[in-house]
Amino acid sequence: MLTRVKSAVANFMGGIMAGGSSGENVSGCDLPLKFPYMRPEFLGLSQDEIECSADHISRPILILKETKRLPWATGYAEVINAGKSALNEDQACCEVVEVKKRTGGSTPSRTPTAKRRSSLPNGEGVGLRDSADADGLLFHYWALFDGHAGSGAAVVASRLLQHHLVEQLQEVLEKKVEHESLVVGALENAFKEMDAQIEREKSVYNISGGCTALVAVFLLGKLYMANAGDSRAIIIRSGEVIPMSTEFTPESERQRLQFLGYMQPHLLGNEFTHLEFPRRVQRKEVGKRMLYRDFTMNGWAYKTIEDEDLKFPLIYGEGKKARVMATIGVTRGLGDHDLKVHDSNIYIKPFLSCCPEVKVYPLTQYEHGADDVLVMGSDGLWDVLSNEEVSEAVTGFLANCDPDDLHRYTMAAQDLVMRARGVLKDRGWRISNDRLGSGDDISVYIIPLLHGNRQP
Amino acid sequence: MAYAYLFKYIIIGDTGVGKSCLLLQFTDKRFQPVHDLTIGVEFGARMITIDGKQIKLQIWDTAGQESFRSITRSYYRGAAGALLVYDITRRDTFNHLTTWLEDARQHSNSNMVIMLIGNKSDLESRREVKKEEGEAFAREHGLIFMETSAKTASNVEEAFINTAKEIYEKIQEGVFDINNEANGIKIGPQHAATNAMLSSSQGGQQAGGLLLSPSFCLYPPLPAGLTYPPPPQTSP
Repeated sequence: MLTRVKSAVANFMGGIMAGGSSGENVSGCDLPLKFPYMRPEFLGLSQDEIECSADHISRPILILKETKRLPWATGYAEVINAGKSALNEDQACCEVVEVKKRTGGSTPSRTPTAKRRSSLPNGEGVGLRDSADADGLLFHYWALFDGHAGSGAAVVASRLLQHHLVEQLQEVLEKKVEHESLVVGALENAFKEMDAQIEREKSVYNISGGCTALVAVFLLGKLYMANAGDSRAIIIRSGEVIPMSTEFTPESERQRLQFLGYMQPHLLGNEFTHLEFPRRVQRKEVGKRMLYRDFTMNGWAYKTIEDEDLKFPLIYGEGKKARVMATIGVTRGLGDHDLKVHDSNIYIKPFLSCCPEVKVYPLTQYEHGADDVLVMGSDGLWDVLSNEEVSEAVTGFLANCDPDDLHRYTMAAQDLVMRARGVLKDRGWRISNDRLGSGDDISVYIIPLLHGNRQP
Repeated sequence: MAYAYLFKYIIIGDTGVGKSCLLLQFTDKRFQPVHDLTIGVEFGARMITIDGKQIKLQIWDTAGQESFRSITRSYYRGAAGALLVYDITRRDTFNHLTTWLEDARQHSNSNMVIMLIGNKSDLESRREVKKEEGEAFAREHGLIFMETSAKTASNVEEAFINTAKEIYEKIQEGVFDINNEANGIKIGPQHAATNAMLSSSQGGQQAGGLLLSPSFCLYPPLPAGLTYPPPPQTSP
C-alpha cells in the first residue's frame, strides 16, 4: 500500500519531466543550433532516411549497413521511442582517433590535432603502426549518449567529446601514458570540459536539454569504460557477465545528493528537505515519531516530525520513478544547465554531476573468442532486459552465425533491440512472456573483444 | 520540399527477387547488378505528382530472408501500399506469394493497397512463371498486377505510381482515415501550412506570438537551404 501511494505521487510528479521537449528551455529558442539534429554519422543516413527513422508507429530498427564498417567489426542497432519525444534523443559516435604530440613545445593549442580514422574498413591498417610511436598514439572510441528534454546536448556531446579527450591525452602524452590513472584522469577531465563547453556556448547556441554519456576507450591494450548516467555496459566472456558500469540514479546517489542539500541548503530553495521519509509527511503528523534517513545512513531511524519535514523530499519515488526534486531521474550527465524545478527558480544542475565513473578492463591480459563481446546500451534496453537475458540472447544469437561473418555483431544488436522493443499489440509494445516492451529510444553496440587482442 | 500527402509503402517478397533494385531504380534511376543483402530495413523516398498534387512516397525496403521475418512483419502496420514482388525466373518465389499475402493481410491495416509485381521481365528466355499466371493470382486476390524490370526500368515508374493513384482514389472516396497516421498517410506541409495559418489567425492577437514562437524551435531541422517561415508579427 505504502509503495502504491508513493509511486502514484512519483508518477504524478514525474509527469513534469515526462512531457519531454515541451519543457525545452524557451530562452535558447531564438539561437541557432550548434549542430543540426542527426542520427549517428556512421549510419550514413540521408535526410529522407532520417525522416523515415523517426516513425513512432512502426519504429524501424536502424542498423549499420554492410558497406559502412566500424572498427573491430562493431555491431550497432537503434530504434526510436514510441512517441515520448518527436526525435530520437539517443546519439552515438564511434571513431579511431589519433592523438598527436603538440608541435611548438609546451604552448597548448586550443584546436586538438585529432585525425579521424573511422573510414578505414574494420580499422585495418590502424594496427600496422605502433600505437605508441614517436608521433603520438591511437585510441578506439565508442560513445553512447541518451538525451532528455531535447536533443541538443546529446548531439553536441556526440560530436565533440572525443576532441576533449584528445586534448586531455595530449597533456599527458609527454609523461608516461601507460599509467592507467592518467588515462582515467583524462577521461574525467574530458567530461568536465565537455560540460563546461556546453555551459559556455548555450549563450550563443540553442543547446537543449541534457544527456547521459557512456564511453568506451581502447588505449594501449586496456579498455576504459567511463559512465555518467543510466546507460550500461557489460562484457560477456565465455557466456559470463562482467558488469563494466553502474547506473547513477536518485536512488544510487541518494547519499551524495542529501549531503549536498545538507551542506548547501539554499540549493533546496526552501521548497525541499534533504531528509528521506518512507512516505510524504502530513501536517497532522507533526510532533509524532516517523522513520527517516539522512545522508549518513543506509538504514532507517525514528525522529519527531517538525514543520521543516513537511517540505517535499529532495529524492522521491522508487526505482525508475525516483526523481531529484520531482524533476529528473538521472543524476550524472552533461548539459541541463537551464533545468529548473517546475514553476520555480530552483536549479537542478548543482545536484547533477558531469563526472564519470571509470572502470578499467585489462583486455589484452585475457584471451577472447569470437563470441566474447562488450555490450553497451541505453536504458531503453536495460529497462526491460536483465544482464542475464542480454547475455543469453547475444550468446545464443552469435552461436548461430558464421564466426567469419563480420556482420554478425550488427545482426546480434538488431536482435537485441527487437527483443527490447517487442511487437506492437493491441495493448502496446510487448516482448516475450507478454511483458511490456520498452517505449524509450533504444541504442545498442556489440563490440567483439578479440580484435583488441590482435592490436599491438 | 512541400507535399500535399505522404504515402508510406513497404516492399516485400522472397530474397533475391529484386526488391532493393526496384527501389533504387525508382529513387535513383539506376540499376546495381550486385546488391548487398538487405538485413533489416532500408528506406527510399521520391516525390511524384498525381492530379496536380505533389505526393511524397516513403518506401520501406525489407529483408526477404526467412530469419528476418519477425522483424519485417512489424513494419507492415502503418503502410498505405505494399509492393509484393516475385521473380518471373524463379517459380518458388511465385509459389510463396500466398504466405506473403497472408502475412501482409494479417499484420497490415485492411485498406492497404497491394501491387503484385513480377520482376526481371527482361530475362524472357529464363521465364518460369507466365504473365497470365501472375494476372490470375492478382485477380483472385484482388491485387493490382504488373511485370517490371528493375534492370531496364520497364514499368518501374508505373508500378509505384499506379499504387499511389489507387491510394489517392481511396482517399477521395473517403476509405482512408487520413488523420490516423497508422494508415500510412500523412497530410503534408502544403496542407499543414494552411492549417497553421488558420489557427494562428483564429488564436487572436494576444496569444498568437506567444503560442507560435516557443513552438517554432521544436520543429525538426530542415535540409540545407530551407527555412521555416518566420512567425507572424504580433500587432502592437
